[in-house]
Amino acid sequence: MATENILEDENFQLLAFLLASARGCLDEPPIYGSLRLIDAAEKTINIIIRKFGEIQELSEIRKKIEKARSLVLADEEEFSKTLDEIMIDISKMIQKA
Amino acid sequence: MDLMNIIKGRRSVRSFLDKEVSREHLITILEAGIWAPSGSNIQPWEFILIDDATLIKKIKLLSPGLYGFPKALVILCVNKKKSEKAGRQGESLAVMDISMAAQNMMLMAYSLGLGSCPIASFNKLGLKHLLNISEEVDPVLMISLGYPSEWPSPPARRPLEEVVHLNGYGKHPGR
Ligand SMILES: Cc1cc2nc3c(=O)[nH]c(=O)nc-3n(C[C@H](O)[C@H](O)[C@H](O)COP(=O)(O)O)c2cc1C
Repeated sequence: MATENILEDENFQLLAFLLASARGCLDEPPIYGSLRLIDAAEKTINIIIRKFGEIQELSEIRKKIEKARSLVLADEEEFSKTLDEIMIDISKMIQKA
Repeated sequence: MDLMNIIKGRRSVRSFLDKEVSREHLITILEAGIWAPSGSNIQPWEFILIDDATLIKKIKLLSPGLYGFPKALVILCVNKKKSEKAGRQGESLAVMDISMAAQNMMLMAYSLGLGSCPIASFNKLGLKHLLNISEEVDPVLMISLGYPSEWPSPPARRPLEEVVHLNGYGKHPGR
């Protein structure tokens, strides 16, 4: 793959995001670690759905990630509850598989 | 628009329409920036305007705090050669100066119908490399600009009565 086109590759975009976040998290509030991880999770869902087509459960998780992001700075307790819900969702997917 | 409405209406916008922002608007926003106050009027800032879509895409890869696809970015940098003229306080004063310029720019953007977001979560080292920023110049803040796809609802503010102390610390004014 020519590296000139790599900018358009979603995996590469995720990689750069992860690396920049890894460095950034050293200097930022601890809760931003969770924020970066859910952002990365959303990017990963986008990659999976692009590859395999629509997956209802993942679309639902993506919606909950959006909700969680809006809560990060506003309500840490609700943020934590939403992440718990997401964990139940992903656990159900794992169990079913 | 009334100034208080502009101050209260400005929001950190994190999703943008695919609609061009004129160069004229961008220059007006930068002009608002240079009219900010600065300690000893040193103006220890450099503003890098980015309106090239590919470059914005590249910067986004280094900036976990940059949400959405803005049409322009202003990178606000401290010029250390200039800030050191303010003595030992130079570094912290420069950050204050830059912040004032940033607010001017964001309020101007809002008055032009544009959304903006201040962004500190980006990789400074990577950005310096990408934009060939000189050694003595440090990017400290970024402002994303574009027409908003929605105006977010305002996040809560600590009440005036709690934040303001009247004639001494701990005595709060009634309303
Ligand atoms: C110094 C500074 C750095 C900020 N950095 C980011 C950032 O990296 N990413 C982001 O999305 N918002 C960032 N913000 C925006 C704040 O989250 C936002 O101002 C705050 O939540 C209040 O919302 P409002 O601007 O809509 O009133 C920053 C704000 C300031 C003042």
